[in-house]
Amino acid sequence: MPTTQTFAEVFESRGISRRDFLRFCSLTSVSLGLAPSLLPKVVHAMETKPRLPVIWLHGLECTCCTESFIRSSHPMTADLVLNMISLDYDDTLNAAAGHQLEEIRKKIMKDYHGKYILAVEGNIPTKDDGVYCMIGGDSFLNVVKETAAGAAAVIAWGACASFGCVQNAKPNPTGAVPISDVIKDKPIVKVPGCPPIAEVMTGVITHFHTFGKLPDLDSLGRPKAFYGTRIHDKCYRRAFYDAGMFVHGFDEESTRKGWCLYKMGCKGPTTYNSCSKIQWNAGTSFPIGSGHPCIGCSEPGFWDKGPFYTRLAEVSFLGTDTTADKIGVVAVGAAAAGAAAHAAVTAVKKQKAGNDDK
Amino acid sequence: MSRIIEEIYVWRLPVRLYHWINALCIVVLSTTGMYIAWPVMSAPTGEAALHHSMALWRYFHYVVAFIFIGNFLYRMYYALLVKDDQYARFGGFRPWSPAWWGNPFKEQVASYLFLRDDEPNYVGHNPVAALAHFIFIFCGSVFMIFTGLAMYGENNPGGFTSTFFGWMLPLMGGSYGLRYAHHLVAWIFPFYVIVHLYAVFRHDVVDRTSVTSSIITGYKHKVEDEASA
Repeated sequence: MPTTQTFAEVFESRGISRRDFLRFCSLTSVSLGLAPSLLPKVVHAMETKPRLPVIWLHGLECTCCTESFIRSSHPMTADLVLNMISLDYDDTLNAAAGHQLEEIRKKIMKDYHGKYILAVEGNIPTKDDGVYCMIGGDSFLNVVKETAAGAAAVIAWGACASFGCVQNAKPNPTGAVPISDVIKDKPIVKVPGCPPIAEVMTGVITHFHTFGKLPDLDSLGRPKAFYGTRIHDKCYRRAFYDAGMFVHGFDEESTRKGWCLYKMGCKGPTTYNSCSKIQWNAGTSFPIGSGHPCIGCSEPGFWDKGPFYTRLAEVSFLGTDTTADKIGVVAVGAAAAGAAAHAAVTAVKKQKAGNDDK
Repeated sequence: MSRIIEEIYVWRLPVRLYHWINALCIVVLSTTGMYIAWPVMSAPTGEAALHHSMALWRYFHYVVAFIFIGNFLYRMYYALLVKDDQYARFGGFRPWSPAWWGNPFKEQVASYLFLRDDEPNYVGHNPVAALAHFIFIFCGSVFMIFTGLAMYGENNPGGFTSTFFGWMLPLMGGSYGLRYAHHLVAWIFPFYVIVHLYAVFRHDVVDRTSVTSSIITGYKHKVEDEASA
């Protein structure tokens, strides 16, 4: 597919009306949090700029990110999304395979040097020269380094590429690391989540396409438009939280009533994501909506902060898994016992000194 | 019998006020903080929108936290800018100088470990007490204030508090790590209160310097043993 086509031309060739094209532009602008005055700029970019070539690499991962992505609902169909971003290389979705496909990647890297976007899904095992993830006879570590060299920007797609996720969990036998540990000289936008929300991906690409730069990022490198607020702040169960109406067990009346899952270990108050706004599968539901506490999958280190069903994580402390409260109670108990013992010794000593005087 | 041979005005009113406001804040903050981490009150009945049980606990935590911060800044102001109160200025506290860790410090440690019989006496804080206050009350408070404000800023991303303290989030590995650290470090306060109260009562019994009442009256006493008649 020629990548000189504009987005608007693709829409037109697929029989999508101008009205629907404008609707897509405004929906994407709104979800990016752009001012209404910028809408013409988005439309103009979509009409005039050639589509962005995207190389999508898959590393050590479960592919749940792709599963989520192909169910993008705004824009309307997965088919449209895939044409929109000119996804020229995606070893999971492409019809071609083997050497043919690798040649396409090499060609894009040459023809669009410095212009294409590299999307990385999954993370990079670095131990033993990256032998734990081999693609086309080469290690994924080398493939990423080689492909990133000519990229305009890198999108870390999913929790694996952003922060490490399950493969990175202790003891991390393959030395898996997020993309930002390997690629240091390119702008990286992190789109974490296990999986992330599909609309975020299209939003980020539209922004890059329109303004030629990545959207505003938060302190952890995530686009602010989608990761700016906590799930908790826009949760439809927030009223139950503020009222102090909590679920205590999954087989309780309070569960059926849909009360707040805070005490079931819900990580909504500490998780920045758009789940409670955009939701999944065309706005059908999200974990809390289905009665399950949020596990905080778009936050760094969530995989090592279990168990998911308690408020306080158990962390390794002096070789044992324990919570902050256990450490605290032991410390306070030790202080009290220490004080009592010290008092006893003081008393004995004083008594002895008193006897000596006599 | 013993008699008072000297009365020294050590803790002036601003220091005493600071101490008690701080003590009260720590008690309320620990209680409300632990409640927020594990809310135990039973759920109210009726419409959720009409109740604010959890919201009120959090609200009190914030209000008292700001009093705690104000009180802390006031104490720093008093220590650094009010020149004539020698016992409130941390003047003798020089942990960066090897001399400070010398004999006075070692003697005090030895005394606490029952390795010497006499009790060194200080009008202000002894070196070990000064170090404990620095670690628990100064460093502990600064840590709790910074992590606390970073979490408070999360209520309004991009706002004043989040702009100035939001940098704590990546430092702590995200919002959850921040909460965990705040919760864990909060435990140093009950720990410290026990050690502090024990040390004060013990000194009062052993040296009879009226250290316990000095934080109410401001006066410490030097006593001298009299030969029993």
